[in-house]
Amino acid sequence: MGKAHRIYILALIAIVALVLVYILQKGISYYRVPVEERFFHPDYAALKPSGSWGHGLGIFGSLLMLVGVLIYVLRKRVRSLSRLGLLKHWLEFHIFLCTLGPLLILFHTSFKFGGLVAISFWSMVAVFLSGIIGRFIYIQIPRSIEGRELTLNEVREMKSNLGDVLSSGYKLDEMSYNLIIESTRKKAELEEGILFWRYTKNYFDDFSTIRSVRKSLKGKNLNKTEIRQVLKLVRNEVSLNRKIDRLLFMQNLFRYWHVAHLPFAIIMLIIMIIHIAVTIVFGYRWIF
Amino acid sequence: MKIRRYRLYILISLLILTQAGRAQLSPGDLAQVHAHLEGMSNCTKCHTLGAKVSNDKCLSCHKEINVRVAQKKGYHSSSKVLGKSCTLCHSDHHGRNFEIIRFDKLKFDHNLAGYKLTGAHAEKKCEDCHKAANIKDPVIRKKKNTYLGLNALCLTCHEDYHQKTLSENCADCHDNVKFKPAGRFDHNKAGFRLKGKHLDTQCIDCHKKSTRNGKNFQQFTGFPFKNCTDCHTDPHDNKFGQHCTQCHSEESFRQLKGTNSFNHNQTRFPLTGRHSSVSCASCHKGSYTTPLAHQKCSDCHPDFHKGQFRQDNHIRDCRECHTDSGFGETIFTVEMHNQGSFPLNGAHLAIPCIACHKKTDNWSFREIGLVCRDCHEDIHKEYLDQKYYPGSDCRNCHSESSWAAITFDHSLTRFAITGAHANQSCRSCHAKQEQAEPGKISFTGTPQTCSSCHEDNHAGQYDVDGFTDCSRCHSSENWTLSGFDHNKTRFPLDGKHIHVACNDCHKMVEASPKPYRQYKFKDVKCENCH
Repeated sequence: MGKAHRIYILALIAIVALVLVYILQKGISYYRVPVEERFFHPDYAALKPSGSWGHGLGIFGSLLMLVGVLIYVLRKRVRSLSRLGLLKHWLEFHIFLCTLGPLLILFHTSFKFGGLVAISFWSMVAVFLSGIIGRFIYIQIPRSIEGRELTLNEVREMKSNLGDVLSSGYKLDEMSYNLIIESTRKKAELEEGILFWRYTKNYFDDFSTIRSVRKSLKGKNLNKTEIRQVLKLVRNEVSLNRKIDRLLFMQNLFRYWHVAHLPFAIIMLIIMIIHIAVTIVFGYRWIF
Repeated sequence: MKIRRYRLYILISLLILTQAGRAQLSPGDLAQVHAHLEGMSNCTKCHTLGAKVSNDKCLSCHKEINVRVAQKKGYHSSSKVLGKSCTLCHSDHHGRNFEIIRFDKLKFDHNLAGYKLTGAHAEKKCEDCHKAANIKDPVIRKKKNTYLGLNALCLTCHEDYHQKTLSENCADCHDNVKFKPAGRFDHNKAGFRLKGKHLDTQCIDCHKKSTRNGKNFQQFTGFPFKNCTDCHTDPHDNKFGQHCTQCHSEESFRQLKGTNSFNHNQTRFPLTGRHSSVSCASCHKGSYTTPLAHQKCSDCHPDFHKGQFRQDNHIRDCRECHTDSGFGETIFTVEMHNQGSFPLNGAHLAIPCIACHKKTDNWSFREIGLVCRDCHEDIHKEYLDQKYYPGSDCRNCHSESSWAAITFDHSLTRFAITGAHANQSCRSCHAKQEQAEPGKISFTGTPQTCSSCHEDNHAGQYDVDGFTDCSRCHSSENWTLSGFDHNKTRFPLDGKHIHVACNDCHKMVEASPKPYRQYKFKDVKCENCH
């Protein structure tokens, strides 16, 4: 990840955080009040769902989500757009918009989840949560630079050169070298037991592996930078091991995830449209 | 794979949409009072399509508010509310327990409701007045927590303590601070103006409390007050009529206005005689109305007689003897005197009272004696033998009719009065004696011989041993010689001598001190005469 991109990502996160902080400081007093008391709160007129602020949050939140979904879907589905930027970056922007949108919607609801539109809201929550899960699954699947999923073989090829790098780049004693090679190899081969248990055990085993490597490297003829680099190599190797281990499972899981993520988004959208229609019919047109 | 995937989409979508269909469009539960309006079919009962919630919709249900607004009455017609959306104050869809009507009761400006809360009203809680019991309209009364249905009339909330005997506008007399006392009541505007002592009088003293229709009641109207006696007891038992104010003022019952107009004769003690000319203060030492004992004269007058007329431990009233014409006069009659221990008779009837009863400077009526000597001097004390008037009782000789009329029985003495003696005054014989004291006659030692009283005209011619006994010739019956018989003398009369006058023989003889007629002769010889 380039530095500019990292700044860009941080800026997006900062925007979300700032919006959250700003809305909270503006409305925390109101949102903390029980529903039955809110009418009497001085900020009611502004922060109620149909208020100048609350309604605006709903409109902007919805628009952000619509845009966030649409641009990502179009980028993914429309062939002519398939070369427009990296899909990964679109995904990041999709995540940004669809994090900020629900955040605004959350405050639009003023934490009052009732009626028909609650379905839309909870669908949105489902989509949001599934997005987080999806994002986790997504990163578990090694991809090409364009974002395409790598096959199992392509992934295996990525890890074959660790021993060479270690032996050529660093002055490791034989014992340490063997320890690293040994510990990184054995994980790749462990494929038995219950799936989640195994993943969990592996995850924690990897931590102890890295700890033991770090321990063996101390007192050797390596400076701190070299130790960090070696450890990074080991981590990468261990991570790859895990990814290889889970690749098939994750690939299947990701397929099923799509089944959940999109329908909830559609439901959310449909009911949101009903909700908007009803409010307009009843005369709630925000500032217009 | 694709078909399976879409099938799954459709399944999930249908499932959720089915649930969505059941779900309400409502953004939240309606408050309890609007709960009957839940459900999609009821939305437009409150909401106007395209125009949110309109006042018209609210007021179409809340007719009682609509009426008040139309009448331009009440809080909803106040400048603060009129023309504003109902939803500014009243909202809904905030849960079942949401209070559609809520406001700061302590800060509520009740003026806007058309009734300013002052005094004690300002201290009251809303529900003290705004309660079903005070609401007459049966429809509004059924509403819970309503603030409608009252009006500004006091009797809307307050019980008519006066039970329709006074104006229904309590504020004419009462202020909002306290029911008692009635701060706005001006008694001077009532039929009976309060003056003088009436100003200090407690209301209850005139306006009595009682029970009417089973409730406490204090009467303020409908009782007479034109006459003082309508309230006050007439201590004079109507003797002076009903016009108390002729003598009394409201400043003080006991201080009379003046005495000029007062007719004392209407009292139980009419002023007559001397009483009519004495000053009031002579009797009324203090206030004129201080009860004054007047049954007996001694209630005012000192007992001049110093208890002399005490009887059975009380002093007899002056009126038995005196009138109010003055103490100098008396109505004590002789007849009354005669009822006493010393009836007046005879000369006693003629003498003034003071003769017996005021022998000194002071009148005296008791223990002044019943016998004569108690008053009269016994002038016979040493000149009359006590045996003739035992106990020095004058009445043995004298009577009350006349001192001079003596009834002495002289026969009791050794010298019985006979003949001409009976015709003589006592003094004729008894005063001839030498007087022991001037003016006093001695009845003792009076000589019984004739010569002690009578002069011997015969110049001792009949003396026998120096004593002339006249009775030998004279009697007390007749001085003339009734018993003399010349024939028994030495010279009986015969012949011509019978017809000769006595004086022819018995001639006057010149002698000293005075001449006398000679009856005794030495001899009876003829030549003595012839």
